[in-house]
Amino acid sequence: MGGKCPHRKVKKRRLSHKTDRRARFLIKGDDMVYDELNKPEEERKTLPVDEDLPGMGQHYCLHCDRFFANVAVRDDHFKTKKHRRRVKQMMGDAPHTQLDAELAAGMGMPDNGPKLMSM
Amino acid sequence: MRLEKCWFCSSTVYPGHGIQFVRNDAKIFRFCRSKCHKNFKMKRNPRKVKWTKAYRRVHGKDMTQDSTFEFERKRNRPERYDRNLAVDVLKAIPKIDKIRVSREERHHKNRMKGNKAKVQKEAEKEYEQSIHMVKAPSSLQQEKIKVKVSQQQSEENPLMEE
Repeated sequence: MGGKCPHRKVKKRRLSHKTDRRARFLIKGDDMVYDELNKPEEERKTLPVDEDLPGMGQHYCLHCDRFFANVAVRDDHFKTKKHRRRVKQMMGDAPHTQLDAELAAGMGMPDNGPKLMSM
Repeated sequence: MRLEKCWFCSSTVYPGHGIQFVRNDAKIFRFCRSKCHKNFKMKRNPRKVKWTKAYRRVHGKDMTQDSTFEFERKRNRPERYDRNLAVDVLKAIPKIDKIRVSREERHHKNRMKGNKAKVQKEAEKEYEQSIHMVKAPSSLQQEKIKVKVSQQQSEENPLMEE
């Protein structure tokens, strides 16, 4: 994601750290990916055609939040160690949330009142 | 005034302290200090970092299930002010706190059961293995009677020798 680029044509120009910093905000958090994976099949969004993304945004890896140029590249990605490690991680426990933090601090479950609780 | 809990270490965040990060899906992450914020930015999992409450809870270091945990909770409903209720609550707080502290102590004591014997055994072993560093083996053989006395003394306080 941004930052270092080993095959630069113009050596003089400095690498942009700003794009790197920006790109960090675009990465999906672990908990977002986890939620997405645990959704039922029907609720998942179909991939819209986006010409800015690689392969028009049609070849997507849910676990790693990455787009690929074509099916072959994506299938190659599925075989990589990085992907398999990621799948294993996502199969495990749910990621840490604010609720977990509060429970660990010795708080009870949130009390939302009778109206909200019946829902 | 709401006292929030830190996302990373679960400590209380008082107003005016710490920093909060709002992700672009409107999820709020609160941090009590820059240490926790940095750890979050490094994408560390609080369940795997030993000094956090989340770790201690998962690994059975702290008391997890207790009735005293039912009092402090996020209440997402308006409460009409009632003076009598406020007085009662203020009276109850120190009592509940006392009960919780004593239960936590008991939990710690239970957890440390059998630890004393283990420490003693390890110390004795270390003493036997490394006594030659304090006293030359030849001198131990020469003064057999004196050695016994020194052994008894050092067994009481084996860590002082190092």
